[in-house]
Amino acid sequence: MSISTGVRPKSPTERLLAANSWLVYAFFYAPILVLIVFSFNDNNNVGIWTEPSLRWYRAMVENDDVLRAIRTSLIVAAVSTVISTVLGTMAALALERFRFRGQRVYDGLVYLPIIIPDVTMAVMLLLFFAQSFRILDGLIGWSPNFGIGTISLSHIAFNISFVAVVVRARLGQLDPRLEEAAADLYANQWQTFRRVTLPLILPGVLGGALLALTLSLDDVVVTSFVAGPGSTTLPVYVFGLVRRGVTPLINAVSTAMLVASMILVGISLVFQRGTASSPRVAEAHPPE
Amino acid sequence: MTDAVTLQGVTKQFGDVVAVCDLDLAIADGEFFSLLGPSGCGKTTTLRMIAGFEFPTTGSLKIHGQEMGLEPPNKRPVNTVFQSYALFPHMTVEENVGFGLLMKKLGSADIAERVKRALDMVQLTHRAAATPKQLSGGQQQRVALARALVNEPEVLLLDEPLGALDLKLRQAMQLELKDLQERVGITFIYVTHDQDEALTMSDRIGVMNEGELLQVGVPQEIYEHPTSRFVADFIGEINLLPAVVVDHETVRLLGNHPISASTGAASGNEVTVAIRPERFELYDLDEPIPEGMNRIEGTVSRRIYHGDVFYYDVDTPAGVIEAKEENRPGVELYEVGERTIVVWAPAATSVVQE
Repeated sequence: MSISTGVRPKSPTERLLAANSWLVYAFFYAPILVLIVFSFNDNNNVGIWTEPSLRWYRAMVENDDVLRAIRTSLIVAAVSTVISTVLGTMAALALERFRFRGQRVYDGLVYLPIIIPDVTMAVMLLLFFAQSFRILDGLIGWSPNFGIGTISLSHIAFNISFVAVVVRARLGQLDPRLEEAAADLYANQWQTFRRVTLPLILPGVLGGALLALTLSLDDVVVTSFVAGPGSTTLPVYVFGLVRRGVTPLINAVSTAMLVASMILVGISLVFQRGTASSPRVAEAHPPE
Repeated sequence: MTDAVTLQGVTKQFGDVVAVCDLDLAIADGEFFSLLGPSGCGKTTTLRMIAGFEFPTTGSLKIHGQEMGLEPPNKRPVNTVFQSYALFPHMTVEENVGFGLLMKKLGSADIAERVKRALDMVQLTHRAAATPKQLSGGQQQRVALARALVNEPEVLLLDEPLGALDLKLRQAMQLELKDLQERVGITFIYVTHDQDEALTMSDRIGVMNEGELLQVGVPQEIYEHPTSRFVADFIGEINLLPAVVVDHETVRLLGNHPISASTGAASGNEVTVAIRPERFELYDLDEPIPEGMNRIEGTVSRRIYHGDVFYYDVDTPAGVIEAKEENRPGVELYEVGERTIVVWAPAATSVVQE
């Protein structure tokens, strides 16, 4: 056989794999495409195409319920992300850097909210709030309402676990000698954390925060249990719209949510790129 | 003058494991002191206790006379050069070196000035703005050194700092380190498992094994007069021959062969005689042998050419003796199977207990 410089012909397996990946992409993105196209549809009916228009987007920004739901979603997401990121990072630090009584048990329990089903989580949170509020009422005569407060607390409850897991993975890769070196160079524990540990685990912390933000913005099940009358988040509102009969308004709202999520994913990718591709210039330099 | 570091009865336990056992040690001011031993011997734990990363389970640890055993690392006048260097990857070379001074709250002009001097000292001024990842291993090593020395610590602790470098660079750095230590006059405590490194650089060496400090002495003492079988065996090549003590100046090797050596043990005791291969000379059977030398007759069973030296295995009634003869003009070669007399001085004979 002669040695050819041409491109090696593709084997049947390779062709099959290539075809498969196209199929998967189509499966993923065709519905998204349909959704986006129909969100610009000028028709009262969801599924019948007439002509392109921004009518439903206008309807969306003029709809007070939608705007209120968006506002609630953003407040809950911001509050629960900030608090769960701080608490989750602290939990990760405690588990990874210190030894204390009951650590193994705590270690296992931190992961529990990730494992237990959403519905279970929702029911138990609802029950917990109802009982706590009843006791509060009996003790000090103050009975809080279900609303943004309870939604935020619930989101914090499940987000802590996710943040802790992500931050802990990053901490596990951190050489403990670096923290010793900081202490050796006269840094106290707080200075060590602020100047060495935190900058080095920051990608993990930001990753965890973005995950928390996304989970909070997406949550339907837990939120719909603990929302109470009057306050609702965007996904719960959309879910409610569907039950009352589908209008093209849903398409516009869903597209808006999709764009928002894609922006978040984009940001998180930028963070990961910025940290993963650490320059390896050492090889390019002549030794000494 | 107060010693730089004093350890008294220091023991460190990790759970049931005793890492360091009842250690007594005084390291003089300005000394280059090496802790030498195999991995797991407790030398690194000892260093980490002086640095403050571990606290002694019992015992007293003083730095320049002040009890420091339970102080955190940031309260101790010592700095460490880590085996992995532990440079902060998110800071430049300059920021790394200036970190300690910044924590001590020095003014920024003062910091810049001292960082520059420290980088000058290790010849890395031109790399001040680089990040650690952009440096070669040897350069990173020198940054770690500058980062520690810039603080002018009372004691510098070095944990196998040359371990990750290749042989040539390591040898160059050994001399550079020794030079540097003499220039700055700071006490260096150097942990290594490499006997050459310890012998080359140290003013004194402490040999450790299984958590115990076996012998402390100047390199020559450690090499020439080991006091235990472990120290004799761990450092350099050595012949270890079983023997029985006869009196203060005589031991009997196997084959009922008496030789002279200062014994320091009660007669009848079973001991080991340790002799360095380069201390032997080979003589012809009919050659006159100087007065007062130890001798034993045997047959050459092997000869290995090693460039600058020849190694001989000589079968004797006392066991196989390995002798090392320099490859110099005029030195007679012995063939395998030839009879010879192995000759050595009583002073080169160390008698060690098990």
